[in-house]
Amino acid sequence: MTANPVIEVRDLHKTYGAPRGRTITALRGVSLRVESGTIFGLIGQNGAGKTTLIKILLGLSFPTTGSASLLGGSPSDAGRRRRVGYLPEQMRLPDYFKATAFLRYMGRLNGLDSSALNDRIPALLERVGLAGVGKQVKAYSKGMQQRLGLAQALLNNPDLLILDEPTDGLDPLGRKEVRDLLMELKAEGKAIFLNSHLLSEVEMVCDQIAILDHGRVARVAKPDDFARGTGEYVVRMAGAGDMARAAVEEVLRREASHGLDWQGTMFRFVPRDLAQLNAVVDQLRRVPVEIEAVEPVRLSLEDFFVQVVAGRES
Amino acid sequence: MFATYLSAMHESISRRVALVLLGVALLVSIAFNAFVHVRKLGGGEMIVAIGTQPPMPAAFAVPIVLEAEFQGTDQLWLLLAIFAASPLLTATLDKGWLELTFSKGTARWRIFTGRVLAGLTMYLLLFAVAALPVALRLWWETGVGTWRACVAIAIETLGFSALLSVASLLTLPQRGVALPMIASVAVWLLSPFLANRRETFYRLFSWHVGHEVVDWAYRILPKSFELEASCVAFIQGGKVVSWWPFWSTAVFAICVFGLTLRQLSRKSF
Repeated sequence: MTANPVIEVRDLHKTYGAPRGRTITALRGVSLRVESGTIFGLIGQNGAGKTTLIKILLGLSFPTTGSASLLGGSPSDAGRRRRVGYLPEQMRLPDYFKATAFLRYMGRLNGLDSSALNDRIPALLERVGLAGVGKQVKAYSKGMQQRLGLAQALLNNPDLLILDEPTDGLDPLGRKEVRDLLMELKAEGKAIFLNSHLLSEVEMVCDQIAILDHGRVARVAKPDDFARGTGEYVVRMAGAGDMARAAVEEVLRREASHGLDWQGTMFRFVPRDLAQLNAVVDQLRRVPVEIEAVEPVRLSLEDFFVQVVAGRES
Repeated sequence: MFATYLSAMHESISRRVALVLLGVALLVSIAFNAFVHVRKLGGGEMIVAIGTQPPMPAAFAVPIVLEAEFQGTDQLWLLLAIFAASPLLTATLDKGWLELTFSKGTARWRIFTGRVLAGLTMYLLLFAVAALPVALRLWWETGVGTWRACVAIAIETLGFSALLSVASLLTLPQRGVALPMIASVAVWLLSPFLANRRETFYRLFSWHVGHEVVDWAYRILPKSFELEASCVAFIQGGKVVSWWPFWSTAVFAICVFGLTLRQLSRKSF
């Protein structure tokens, strides 16, 4: 763990006033830390507080209590924000802009001079696949707008990228390009804070993932920790018949085991230990059946996410 | 701030608001020029006629022409500029756009101030396009100095800046463009009634506290009506009769705009 995290959030609470004297609590004691050179994924249901957290990190909103640090300083410090690239979930690009004029304005707001803009804008448009597109942004498709949004987030060569649903509106090829881009940026030592509903993508690219649930951090872990084994195994066979079934049941009847579940030519079960798993395989080899695979069942991030959210709701 | 200012000017032109207003100003200027006739008499004396009015010596007529132009159009420019500038302010806080701009490395107050200055520039340009051509023509043809028109435009711009500060403040608590427009126009409409409060409000109610409230409203709010009168008086006499409407309006504009920027910097989006 490095001494200076790019993002550090401690016991963050955020409460909004609502009509008729009510209050809405968006964040309830969120603490997390993002190191440089890593990709940090933030996932959660709608209304979990993800966007509120991002807004606080960017100085767009202020916490009720707790602290947030961005690149070692306050998010309110405009100088710090010059080292951050941000792609919001919902961008509203003014109709009258063309890509170059839009990027030029965004760059100016980040303190870039003309020569830097002249160098970077064509290269970035090339990188996001918008080179040579001369039309106004009002004529852009959702995917093109998203690409332009990515370009503006990268314009200032940021140390930290905060991306809110970066693959929203992109086709599968575009999504892969974004994933590749994220890995390139990570290799360059940049930190990336990624908020996405596409859990499979988060799982693929992130070094660390936080699940935010109703304003609280339910879990922070590495993708491997989320995708841990469940203790359950699947055995797939070619042409399994009654003999195979009888062989398996014989072993499992002899020794205590749980959850035997036959589904056609495969079955799932939870062996007591590896010795029991091997005993089942040995027994199957004695009958005329070909074993295709013996696989441990792993939880996907999505499974884990559903478990966390369902667990809280139950 | 300059980048935001240029972007807001670009926005005004791209949305065709500024172009339409400048076009209207140009038409008014052309029409006014067509009504003004300059002739040289046999003795070399220059005379100026406005429409079908009898001609007058240039030294006497030029201030009258300028005065007529200011009196005839200043309210129109003010209203049009309020309608054009208010959307510039509210667009700053459009969802999906403010997240892009306010998250960048430029302080919010700079971004907002840049847009307010663009609105102010639009008003200045509008007035200049409408009033300066006839002033320049009269100066060129008669030799009578018309620099007072520039000062008059500056006076009018001061009045507009106070109204724009009201629109700025009311941009923050809500997202619509109607409230900033209505409020600034209301302050402007109230101005002549407050200036003549003894003949207006005092006659409506006789209780002392009510008079005090009206007096304070007059002291605090911009003196648009008196500034317009000062503008005309300056064109006529080249002198400022009272500095009270100037400094009190400037104080109002600075305080309200300062409050706007303070609220903006503390606002959670």
